[in-house]
Amino acid sequence: MERGIIVQISGPVVDVEIQEGPLPRLREELTVERDGVLRVMEVAQHVGRGTVRCIMLSPSEGLARGLAVDVPGHTIQVPVGRATLGRMFNVLGQPIDGDGALPDDTPVRSIYRTPPSFEEQSPAVEILETGIKVIDLLEPYPRGGKIGLFGGAGVGKTVLIQELIHNVAMEHGGYSIFTGVGERSREGNDLWREMRESGVSDKTALVFGQMNESPGVRMRVALSGLTMAEYFRDVEHKDVLLFIDNIFRFVQAGSEVSTLLGRMPSAVGYQPTLANEMGALQERIASTKDGSVTSVQAVYVPADDLTDPATATTFAHLDATTVLSRKISEQGIYPAVDPLASSSRILEADTVGELHYRVARQVQEILEKYRELQDIIAILGMDELSDEDRHTVARARRLQRFLAQPTHVAEKFTGIPGVYVPLKDTLESFAAIVDGQLDQYPEAAFYNVGTWRDVVEKARKMEAGEA
Amino acid sequence: MRNTRGRLTAELRSAREPSEVQLQRFGEFLARTYQRKVPLHWEQDASLRSGFWLQVGSDVYDWTLDGRMRQFTDYLRQLQTGTNDLLPLMRQAAKDWSLAVVPEEIGEVRTVDGEIAVVDGLEHARYGEILLFDSGVKGMVQDLRRKELSCVLFGDSEEVSAGGMVRRTHKTAGMPVGDAFLGRVVDALGVPIDGKGRIHSQSYRPIEAPAPSILDRQPVNTPMETGILTIDSMFPIGRGQRELIIGDRQTGKTAIALDTILNQKGKNVVCIYVAIGQKTSSVAQLVENLNRRGAMEYTTVVSACAGSSAALQYIAPYAGCALGEYFMNQGQDVLIVYDDLSKHAIAYRALSLLLERSPGREAYPGDVFYLHSRLLERAAHLSDERGGGSMTALPIVETQAGDVSAYIPTNIISITDGQIFLESELFFSGQRPAVNVGLSVSRVGGDAQTRAMKSAAGAIRLDLAQYREMEVFTQFSSDLDAATKRQLAYGQGLMRLLRQNQYAPFSQHQQVITLTAALHHIMQDVPLDRLDEFRKELLAFVEKQVPDLCRRIDLTGLLTSEDREELLALSRQFLESSRPAEKHGG
Repeated sequence: MERGIIVQISGPVVDVEIQEGPLPRLREELTVERDGVLRVMEVAQHVGRGTVRCIMLSPSEGLARGLAVDVPGHTIQVPVGRATLGRMFNVLGQPIDGDGALPDDTPVRSIYRTPPSFEEQSPAVEILETGIKVIDLLEPYPRGGKIGLFGGAGVGKTVLIQELIHNVAMEHGGYSIFTGVGERSREGNDLWREMRESGVSDKTALVFGQMNESPGVRMRVALSGLTMAEYFRDVEHKDVLLFIDNIFRFVQAGSEVSTLLGRMPSAVGYQPTLANEMGALQERIASTKDGSVTSVQAVYVPADDLTDPATATTFAHLDATTVLSRKISEQGIYPAVDPLASSSRILEADTVGELHYRVARQVQEILEKYRELQDIIAILGMDELSDEDRHTVARARRLQRFLAQPTHVAEKFTGIPGVYVPLKDTLESFAAIVDGQLDQYPEAAFYNVGTWRDVVEKARKMEAGEA
Repeated sequence: MRNTRGRLTAELRSAREPSEVQLQRFGEFLARTYQRKVPLHWEQDASLRSGFWLQVGSDVYDWTLDGRMRQFTDYLRQLQTGTNDLLPLMRQAAKDWSLAVVPEEIGEVRTVDGEIAVVDGLEHARYGEILLFDSGVKGMVQDLRRKELSCVLFGDSEEVSAGGMVRRTHKTAGMPVGDAFLGRVVDALGVPIDGKGRIHSQSYRPIEAPAPSILDRQPVNTPMETGILTIDSMFPIGRGQRELIIGDRQTGKTAIALDTILNQKGKNVVCIYVAIGQKTSSVAQLVENLNRRGAMEYTTVVSACAGSSAALQYIAPYAGCALGEYFMNQGQDVLIVYDDLSKHAIAYRALSLLLERSPGREAYPGDVFYLHSRLLERAAHLSDERGGGSMTALPIVETQAGDVSAYIPTNIISITDGQIFLESELFFSGQRPAVNVGLSVSRVGGDAQTRAMKSAAGAIRLDLAQYREMEVFTQFSSDLDAATKRQLAYGQGLMRLLRQNQYAPFSQHQQVITLTAALHHIMQDVPLDRLDEFRKELLAFVEKQVPDLCRRIDLTGLLTSEDREELLALSRQFLESSRPAEKHGG
């Protein structure tokens, strides 16, 4: 039923004057048809005089004042349940994989839900093995927890998240939901093909609102993916893996529309509601007594500035954080994880065990010491160091190289096959290095290998090759 | 019936007073069209000469001499002028034409401020529509408010004044496209500026178009050869990829783009170069260069120079992209260079601030990311169902004092599929192209490298990364062991081999031979200052010995392990033969 008309358009923000009936409530969906295409918007504000201010989830080009607007009377809804598995959707839950419509009896749910209550919470205490040495050792991921991958542009967030999909989702028995928020369409295509080829598509649903789409889409698509994950947790009592690449784009899209909604800008031009928006989303990603949601979220760090309000706000919601650094990627060490800036809430002797805790802390100590010595080395050179410090430096440089690991995803760039290192081997290898058992092997032998056995093997080969 | 709200009055203007009969007809017309009684006032206006001017709300029926002439001109413009028989066509057109009784919406300029005009009226104007001011200046609707709209001006704002009339064109901003654009230089509206006359366009594409969807794409898998050893070996670019070229001013950014365009000669690639906010003289020089080297025949230059309005600079890359899409949708391969997007962001910032949208980081508006993401996402490798065409984008961004972490650079890095970072220190130390190997990356090119190149290039990038780290670490150490010294010398040699002059592209086999020899340490002991010469002689030697193999590498992109052994054997042989000469010489 056509109940309103467009009276004002400012980029993705559109004002609609409601001419009959009650005003649609906030977050309700409105639709407008132009040139045979139905465009969707969502009510964001009531601005008085019978007018609502909406955010477009479609392009605004071609809209005009005076166009008639429909009020269907509900919020945006997406399909949920088993019918979504193996499919690819847009923000509105419409399939975009060209495989036709979903069955008519597919349940739908509003993308707005309340987070689980205090008593439903189930805190995470168990390690989720990833097969990536630096992660398993220094910032072990909790099963059912929230994990963030922070990194500036081009330091390898997406490669790492894809490696995690490869190592974890493909081994994991439950369902996985991948949500692409404001990232490259090309990556969406790559992922879609990979899912189909690797045969895990019957356990996976993909939801995309990529960077070519309007800010309204990028603001809401994370909720669409999350809603599908919640259904499996709440109704089917499953353990779900939820990948979000990239949660920063959600904040960014919010700031794109915020000023057009007439809100005052906050620090660095972000929306004043930044923390609430992030909180409302993050609190829904939780593990309950019914089932768990383990989420892996990539977080873009704008201008490499970790104190950026968007990044800083995200930190607080996470159980484990992996920080990727440009300095480390410059040295050719991939995954470019900064071992001293990354952390995990479960890296405690009680949870991970005495050995793991000791080795991890020792590795950090050695690397920290090396970092302190670096200035001295830069000014005076290695020759001025004490013998003990030289030992530390030698060991730290071996550790740095050993933290690099060939990944399955990067195999096509580097030609080096990826390795999966079980946690047990990771601990054994790092223990051997910090205890000085591998000091006799050259630095280069530690670079881009799996376990300590590979180091010994590589050293042997190098020696044979050189001689 | 016209859908117009509120109370209406009609105003009639003419040079002579209308008769009773005429007035009655007007009354009937108004009642019929607007479904209600509309009071009519007459006013004398001697400037109209003959005919009438009727205004109802914001609708205008212009039956004056000028109005009729304009309608006729518009009508003539729509004629198909494909044939040469213009006169009969004109005669027929004049006979067929009849005055249309459709209302035209007319707006009135309320305020003009630099790049922005605020217009009253034009109730049905669409978002993104082109408006025409009475002086002939065009504008694009950017904001529609209850009573007024704001538009950005494509021409000189001095020619727009408050109180002036504004007409709708019913067209969203777009670009004429067609094969005839190759070899031409046009502005951001598609108007030729090279003095070579009109361009026959085949159609008109809106400048804003949705990017190909996820399913419409296929992985990047065909190389776009630049002829630059550093790039083809370590940061290969594939057709459909977006690879950023970034660096301070005067570090050779445009040179890389230009070399890439020149290297497409005979490879069936359409090139588009979009100049944004540059000196007109630099663009003229570039065009001259392309002409001289025979590259203009497959290239279009879209130029919005520093003197153009911010609005033209803002739409220029979208216009270039629309032209690129025209070729891509026909299944062709397109290379588009945006030079440069930092100036584009600045132009958009100017417009945004004038439109009173609030500023964010570095005073850029919140949607500056979307500005570039929706542009660059339109470059893609289309699926076979969509014709399999591709558009490769090489956006260029200028940094300040080598700071890649600034806002616009990181934004664009996070959009593109990789970046080539040029550094002024390297540039001035003679390492040209001044590519910083550590900070440059190509995320998809690996798939697009030919097998020959992939096997020849091997781990050169990781070798160089380790070399640089070693170089920094050992710079103050006096006693280095032999292995370390060897590694340093090897790294220096590689860096030297990567130097390459402008306009001197290497073909694929030349690159493969160089890399194969270098990475197998064959040139390890050749002194640095002899390396260039050594390579030149080596290439000539191999090309003479095995011309078939060289040709095969260029054509098939394959290199079997026997081939590699052969190349290595030849290189060793050449090394041996050049040794005695060295002794004599030195």
